Amino acid sequence: MLKLKRAGKGDAVRIFRFMPRMLLILPAVLMAFGCGEKKPKQPVLKVSFSLTESEWDVFRKKVIPPFEEKHGCKIEAVQIDAADLPKLLLLGKRAGESKVDLFAQDNMELAVLVKNGLVEDMSDLVRQYRNVVYPSLLEIGRFADAYYFIPFRTNVQIFYYNKAVFDRYGLSPPRSWDEWLKIAEFFYEKEKVGRILITGVGGNPTVTQMYEYIVAAGGDPFVFNDGGTKKTFLFFQRLWKAASPDSRKAKWDTSNDYFARDSVYLMQNWTFGYKIITEQYGKQDVEVYHGFPGPVREAHVIGGDVFGIPAGSQNKVLALNFIEYMLSRDVQAVFVKDLAWPSVRSDAYNDASSGPAFKAIQDALHYGVFRKNVPYWSEYQKLFEEAFLRIVVNGESIDILESLQTRMKHITQKHPS
Amino acid sequence: MKTAKTISFIKKHYFEISLALPLFLYLVLFTYAPVMQVIAMSFDKSGSRPGFVFGFHHYHLIFGHFQFAKAFFNTVFIAVCGLFLELALGLYVAVQLNKRIKFRGMIRSLYILPLGIPTIVAAANMRYIFDTNGFLNSLLMKLNMITLPVDWGGGGFVTLFAVVVADMWKVTPLVMLVLLAGLQNIPEDVYEAARMDGAGPWQTFRHITLPLLKPSITMAVVIRGIDSFRIFELPLVLAGKAEPVLGTFVYAEYHEALNPYTSAAASVILLLLILFCVAAYLSLTGTKDVSYP
Amino acid sequence: MKTNRILPAIFLYGSLGLILLFTCIPIYLMVKIAFADPGAFMNDQAFEFTFEHLKAVFLSGNLWPALRKSFTVACATAFLSTLIAAPGAYVLAKIPGRTGYFFLMAIFFTRMFPEVGIALPISLNVARLGLFDTDAGLVLAHLIRVLPLVAWVLIGTFKSLPKDIEEAGRMDGCSKAQVLWRIVLPVARPGIMVGLIFGFLNSWDEFIYAAYLSLMNKTLPLTVFYYVNRGGWFLSSMYALIVTIPVLFFTYFFQRYLQSGYLSGAVKG
Repeated sequence: MLKLKRAGKGDAVRIFRFMPRMLLILPAVLMAFGCGEKKPKQPVLKVSFSLTESEWDVFRKKVIPPFEEKHGCKIEAVQIDAADLPKLLLLGKRAGESKVDLFAQDNMELAVLVKNGLVEDMSDLVRQYRNVVYPSLLEIGRFADAYYFIPFRTNVQIFYYNKAVFDRYGLSPPRSWDEWLKIAEFFYEKEKVGRILITGVGGNPTVTQMYEYIVAAGGDPFVFNDGGTKKTFLFFQRLWKAASPDSRKAKWDTSNDYFARDSVYLMQNWTFGYKIITEQYGKQDVEVYHGFPGPVREAHVIGGDVFGIPAGSQNKVLALNFIEYMLSRDVQAVFVKDLAWPSVRSDAYNDASSGPAFKAIQDALHYGVFRKNVPYWSEYQKLFEEAFLRIVVNGESIDILESLQTRMKHITQKHPS
Repeated sequence: MKTAKTISFIKKHYFEISLALPLFLYLVLFTYAPVMQVIAMSFDKSGSRPGFVFGFHHYHLIFGHFQFAKAFFNTVFIAVCGLFLELALGLYVAVQLNKRIKFRGMIRSLYILPLGIPTIVAAANMRYIFDTNGFLNSLLMKLNMITLPVDWGGGGFVTLFAVVVADMWKVTPLVMLVLLAGLQNIPEDVYEAARMDGAGPWQTFRHITLPLLKPSITMAVVIRGIDSFRIFELPLVLAGKAEPVLGTFVYAEYHEALNPYTSAAASVILLLLILFCVAAYLSLTGTKDVSYP
Repeated sequence: MKTNRILPAIFLYGSLGLILLFTCIPIYLMVKIAFADPGAFMNDQAFEFTFEHLKAVFLSGNLWPALRKSFTVACATAFLSTLIAAPGAYVLAKIPGRTGYFFLMAIFFTRMFPEVGIALPISLNVARLGLFDTDAGLVLAHLIRVLPLVAWVLIGTFKSLPKDIEEAGRMDGCSKAQVLWRIVLPVARPGIMVGLIFGFLNSWDEFIYAAYLSLMNKTLPLTVFYYVNRGGWFLSSMYALIVTIPVLFFTYFFQRYLQSGYLSGAVKG
C-alpha cells in the first residue's frame, strides 16, 4: 500500500530532510520579525475602517502618512466589516483590553453599540463641531442626551448610466418610476436580456437601497404591511423581470464591474463608483445624476461612517487628535477630490476640484433622508432580505408581508425603546 | 476481580496507553464533546437563557424556514450527481492512464494539479468561468450555441450544474488516483486469462475490472460521499443565497441570522443525513466490514 | 485495419486533451487575471501585462499579517498533529482484531461530522478560553481536522513496517521506548514526513474553522474570500495565486507520495 521503498533515495527525500528544519526555522524568523515590529518606540494608534480597496489606497498614500509624521506615531489601520465590529468590541470589553483605539462604523449600526455600553461618550468633542459639521449629520451620533459618535464622511447613492447606449437608442435617463420600468422593459425587448441593475444580493446593500424606495413611495420601511411598502414590493416584482441577471449578485463593489463591462447600462450606487469606473477601468461615456422621485417624493438615504471610541480605550488623546485631523478641512478636501466622498463640512468644497459627479451628489443630498437607528437593525435586515428574496426574486405574492409584519412585531417587542 | 485485571492490564501496557492517550483525549475533548454540545444546543429550548429545557423549538424554526427544504434537496442533488459524474470521469481517466500510452507521466501530473489548489481558490477561479461575462458564456457565444448570456449564478438547475462542475474539477483527480491505485493492483495475468477465453474489451471491463475494482470504488464513494455532503466553499461563492446547501445554510444561520441554535439544529440534520447515506450505501452494496488494509 | 487503430487513438488523446484543457483553464485564467491590466480587461481589449495588482497586494499591508498567521498556524498544526498522532498511530497499528477496528473507526468517524457543526461550539469554547482570533485558538481547531488524517497516514506507515525489526530490538535488550525511538521511528521517517506535510497543507487550505474563529486576524484563505466577496477580480486572483504557490510547490515534489492510502485513509469494501 505505502510506497516506503521509493522514499529511499532521490530528490524528494532530500527535501524531506530539509523540510522540518525549514519549517522550524521560518516561524522562528517570522516571530523574531514580529517581535521586532511589536516594540516600536513611537506610540501606536489602532484604527478600524470598512473601506474598499481603492479607498484604502488613498488612505495609505495620502491620509495616514501626514498624521503619522506630525504626531510621531504609527497608525495601524485595519479593515473590519460593519457587521463584525460589535463582536470585536464585545470581545475587547470581555478581555478588559480594547482591540482597537478608535473605530469607524456605518452610521446604520450604531444603536447596538450604545445599547451594550461599548462606546465612550463624545459629547464634548461634538459640541466643538457644532458650527463646522452639518448639524443634521451630528444628530446621527446622539442617543438620549449624549453624543457617542461623530461623522467624518457622508455618502449617498447616485444613478449611473451609459450615455453612449442611451444616445444610440435615443433614450434619456428615467425621471420617474414609470419611466424606469419602461426603459428596463425597452432594453429587455431590444437586447433580450435585462440591462438595468438592481442591487439584489440581499443583506445590507439590498435593504439600504429598498429603504429609500419605500420612503419615496410614502411608506415606513419598518412596517412590512403598510401601503408604501406594499407598493414598492409590487413595483420591484415587475422591475425585476426586466432587470439584468447580474442583479442577483449585485452589491456595491460588483456593480461597478458590471457597469464597466457593459453588462448593465443603468444602475444606482454610492459615489465612490464614479472614480473606479472612469479612472481605474477607463470607462468613457459614464454620466451620473441624482435620480428621480417615487410615487410620493424623492428620497435618498444618507449613508456614511462615523468615528467612535471603544469604552475604556487607553489611547484616547491620540484618538481624539486623529478625529480632529480627519475632520480638518484639508483632509476632507482630499476625500472630496480623490474619493468623490461628499464632505461633512461645507467649506471643504471651496478649493477642491469638484468633478462631474459633484452636482449629482449635491442634488441627491438635497433629497437626503436618514435611516432610523434601531438596535434591531440586523434582525430587521434578515427579515427584509427574506421578503425581498421571496417576493421580488421568487415572485411570491405580497400577501406574505402580513406574516412578516407579525414576525417584525416580535422583534420590536424584544427591544423596548 | 475485574478491577484487578484492569490494573494488571494497565501495568503491563502503561507505555502503550500513555502513547495513545493524547490522541484519544484530543478526539474526545475537541471532536466528540463539541458534537454532543451541538446536539444538546439544538434541543435546548431555553436558548441563551441559563438552564436546559428539552424541546424541538429550533427544529420547528428551521423546518419553517423558506430556504431549508431547498438547501436539503440541493445538498443531496449535488452529492449524488457529483459523485456519479466524478466516478465516471475518474474511472475513464484511470483506465486510460493504466494503459501504456504516450505522455502518461505528463498527463497524470497535469491532471492532478487541482488537488494542490485550495478549495476557496478553486471557487474563486470557477467564478471567472461561470460569471455572466465569464469564460464559458463568451465561449458558448463564439460557438454560436447561445445568443444571450446564461445566468449561472442566478439559481435553478444551471447554478447546481456550475457547483457540480466546480466540485468535479477539484476532486475528480483524487477519485482517479484512488481508482488508478486499485487498477494497478489487478494482476496482469487475470487479463491474460480473459483474453485466452476470448473476452472482448467491454466484457473484460464489465466482468473482470469492475468486480476487482470494487474495494477501491467503495473507498472512493465513502470518502468522497462524506465530503460532498459537507460541500461548503464552492456553493458559498458560486451559488450564494440563490441555491443554498446545508453547509452554507448552517453558516448563514449563525453568521447572518446570528442564531447559534437554529444553526446547531441544521448541522445535526446534516450529520444525520451523512450517517444515513453512508449506512445505506454500505448495506446496499453488501459491504460488511469497512477496514483498513 | 489501419483506421481501426487510428480512430480509437484519436478518440483517446482527444478526450484526454479536452479533460486536461478543462483542468488547466481555471488555473490559467487565475494567473492571467492576476497580471491583467484592468482597463484593457474590462473593455475586452487585448491582454496587457501589469504588475499593478502584485504591487497593490504587497503594499496594501493586508498581505503580511495574513501570510504570517497562515504560515505560523500551519507549521504549528503540522508539528503538533504529528507529535500527538505518531505515538497513537504506533500503538493502534499494533492492536489486533475487533478492538483495533473499534479505535480505527473512532478516528474515521470524526470525518463524518460536518465541520460547520463542530466549528460552532469550538468557536464558543475557544472564546471562553480567551483564544478567539488568536493563532493558538486556530491551531486547536485545525488539529480537529488534521489529527485524524495524519493518524490514518501514520497507522498505514507503522502497519507496513516489518514486525521482526521490533522483535529483534527487544531481543537485544532494548526497552519499549528505546525500540520506538531508535528502531521504529527512523524507519518510519518517510511516513512521518508525509504526515507533517499533510498537516501543513490541510491547515494552510482550511477555511471553515478560520471563518468561525477569526475577526481581525484573517488567514490567507479568508483574505481570498474577502476579496472574492467584494467582487474585485484582480486582487482576488492575485491573493488566490499567492495562497496556491506554496501548495503547488509541495504537491509537485510530493507527487509520488500521493498514493491512495495516504490520500484518504483507506477504506476497504
